[in-house]
Amino acid sequence: MERRPVHFNWRGLVLPVGFLLGVELIATTTSIERDAFAPPSAILSAAAGTLASGAALKATAETLITAGSGLLLGLLLGLLLGIPLGLDRRADLLMMVPLESLRPVPPVALIPLSLLIFGFGYRMEIAVVAFAVVGPIFLFTRSAIRGIEPQLMEVAHALGLGFVARVTKIVLPAILPRICVAFRVALGIALVVAVTVEITANPLGLGYAMTIAQQSLQPDLMFALLLWIGLTGWSLNALLLAAESRLFGAAA
Amino acid sequence: MSRQERLLWWLASVALAVLLVMMVAKLSELRLLSPIFLPPPQRIWAALTKGLTTGNLATMSLATIRHMVVGLAIAACLGIGLGAMIGTSAKARAYLLPTLEILRPFPSSAIIPVTIAYFGLTETMMLAVIAFGSLWPILMGTIHGFAMIEPRLADVSRALGLSRRSALMKIALPHAMPDILGGMRIGLTMALVLATVGEMLTGRNGLGQTILLAARSFRTADLYAGIILLGVIGFASMLIFDRVERRLLHWRS
Amino acid sequence: MARAPAAADPVIAASGVSLDLGGTAVLSDIDLAVARGEVVCIVGASGCGKTSLLRLLAGLLHPTAGAVSYEGQPVSKPRSDIAFVFQDYGKALLPWRNAAQNVSLALEAIGMPKAARSNRIAELLAKVGLAGHAEKLPHELSGGMQQRLQIARCLAQEPSVLLMDEPFGALDAMTRQALQDETLAIAEASRASIVFVTHDLDEAIYLGDRVLGLAGSPGRIGDTVAVRLPRPRDQLTTREDPEFVRLRRALHDFIGTVASDRQAR
Repeated sequence: MERRPVHFNWRGLVLPVGFLLGVELIATTTSIERDAFAPPSAILSAAAGTLASGAALKATAETLITAGSGLLLGLLLGLLLGIPLGLDRRADLLMMVPLESLRPVPPVALIPLSLLIFGFGYRMEIAVVAFAVVGPIFLFTRSAIRGIEPQLMEVAHALGLGFVARVTKIVLPAILPRICVAFRVALGIALVVAVTVEITANPLGLGYAMTIAQQSLQPDLMFALLLWIGLTGWSLNALLLAAESRLFGAAA
Repeated sequence: MSRQERLLWWLASVALAVLLVMMVAKLSELRLLSPIFLPPPQRIWAALTKGLTTGNLATMSLATIRHMVVGLAIAACLGIGLGAMIGTSAKARAYLLPTLEILRPFPSSAIIPVTIAYFGLTETMMLAVIAFGSLWPILMGTIHGFAMIEPRLADVSRALGLSRRSALMKIALPHAMPDILGGMRIGLTMALVLATVGEMLTGRNGLGQTILLAARSFRTADLYAGIILLGVIGFASMLIFDRVERRLLHWRS
Repeated sequence: MARAPAAADPVIAASGVSLDLGGTAVLSDIDLAVARGEVVCIVGASGCGKTSLLRLLAGLLHPTAGAVSYEGQPVSKPRSDIAFVFQDYGKALLPWRNAAQNVSLALEAIGMPKAARSNRIAELLAKVGLAGHAEKLPHELSGGMQQRLQIARCLAQEPSVLLMDEPFGALDAMTRQALQDETLAIAEASRASIVFVTHDLDEAIYLGDRVLGLAGSPGRIGDTVAVRLPRPRDQLTTREDPEFVRLRRALHDFIGTVASDRQAR
């Protein structure tokens, strides 16, 4: 397959640019009700305003702290479960019924429970995020372990490595690239769940800020926050992708 | 591992689950676990059975299922229809894919305040959110399935002189089916999640509302009963989906 | 009795055909005429444009210069009279349809009513020796059987021309020989013309009434050899025939000259 020079896809810009211009035009020429509608110019100025005042950054910090903490907690639990159950088929089968019974529960269903136990605040949200992340991390870890070259495990056996040594010296390095991919995916999940909890119940973070903006009839701020949420998620993902290819290159 | 061995371990697993439940019951009885946070399993069971028979849990469950199914159906029709059109046209893909890629990373729950702004706390708002959230994986999966046509099959289609409609229905669609179903599987999970969230926010009938109200009035047993039912709905819907998928993709070696 | 290559009234022909693909000249000034009922084999090394030439004849590609004609009419797009057998049979069969349904696809394409189809499908499957396998999915069939299935589907088009692109290249020697004989039998029975592309000289001589050597970059027809071997051909006796050996040497030398020409450039 010969390499063609990559040219920029101008056609891809037609729709978004056209849409934004169209909306801006409608806003300036007609007097459409401004409760739920905001032209791009207003959204941009609202965005600039909330960023400058620090409100957006504070909310972002709150969301990221909770998402991050929940992610790390879920990562830890997922690894603690995934590694032994991945290594030992029997243990895996033994734990199957209890774990599979928990899996179908949608994490959002735990929001009221978490609210009950912890009340409003950070802990409640971290708990829900952790629960949401444990499942995927566990599954990823388990399948990554199962995918380890059998020869590597034989080497461990031949060298007479104990369980802990086996895990730290052979298993963990072998699955590291895949765990990083799982981490990136889990980060996306963590952010979405965090924002969902904030929109539904918890008065902190970006989700809550969006709800307040909507309730106080400030659609320009609401859309600005929405865009900011998307941007945050996208840049974190891009950052992790870059880190991944840096660290692992072709091995990823 | 032989079949018998697997069965034995599975039974042991069931025994373990029962053991854990009994342990929780004991801990609750000894007041080591606060019954407010984790009531004794007997009470949860009682709340479940009572709620389903004389209470409104059955109605609420059906309401949640209905929201899920309707939202998913809308998403499927739009997603597969648009996905087929976009996937089969290189031109459409050039114009639309960048926009779709920009919109994709937005969490569907973040759309909720926007939809509330437009539709208010109504049924329509809920269905719009569910449909929007489920639409993305289905749409992207469908586009991918139709875009990645096996070139040899395209040759065969042209060599046989199949009409555009025939080629679409007899070759492109079956070929895209695995990707479409993959997208629908994710869409199904999203539909349940967003239905629950929507019910919590709008207060409309459904398990989401049930568990939120139960939490607010500290009726923990009812809360757990609701959570269990949501888990059951999730489990059952996946089971049904697996069946359907296996039938549709029976030809996979 | 040898079949003399007929001159007048070709069923499919290419005149002065050149092809450029993505800036590279693939074929240059190809003249080719296939008579009714004739088996024409095209040999050449990989990459000399054999497959492209076949696709041009099929109407799957358009020539940059010159024209392809079928019974005197220009070929602008694929037609049901011209059937194409692909080398990668696995990818050319629909994996979600069983054998009978795969054959049915061709019948559906030509608009045969449902009632008439099942008989015809049974006939065609029997013709290629897949009689008991109608319900099987392609992945449940061996390579040779899958290729037979593809041939059956092509025959369902009732073609006057069968274009075959290295159809037996991916099969083991025994299966290949069996399918070579079956192909000749089918050609004999249906009076279809065959254009057969292969890199295997022996196969080309065994099957063909004429063998064309395609070589160079861009590909040109360098050598045309008439195969005056008796029909019906036989795997043992025909291959030992002194004429067979002579033809093989002549073609081998041709390919050799071309290869060294290439290296010298």
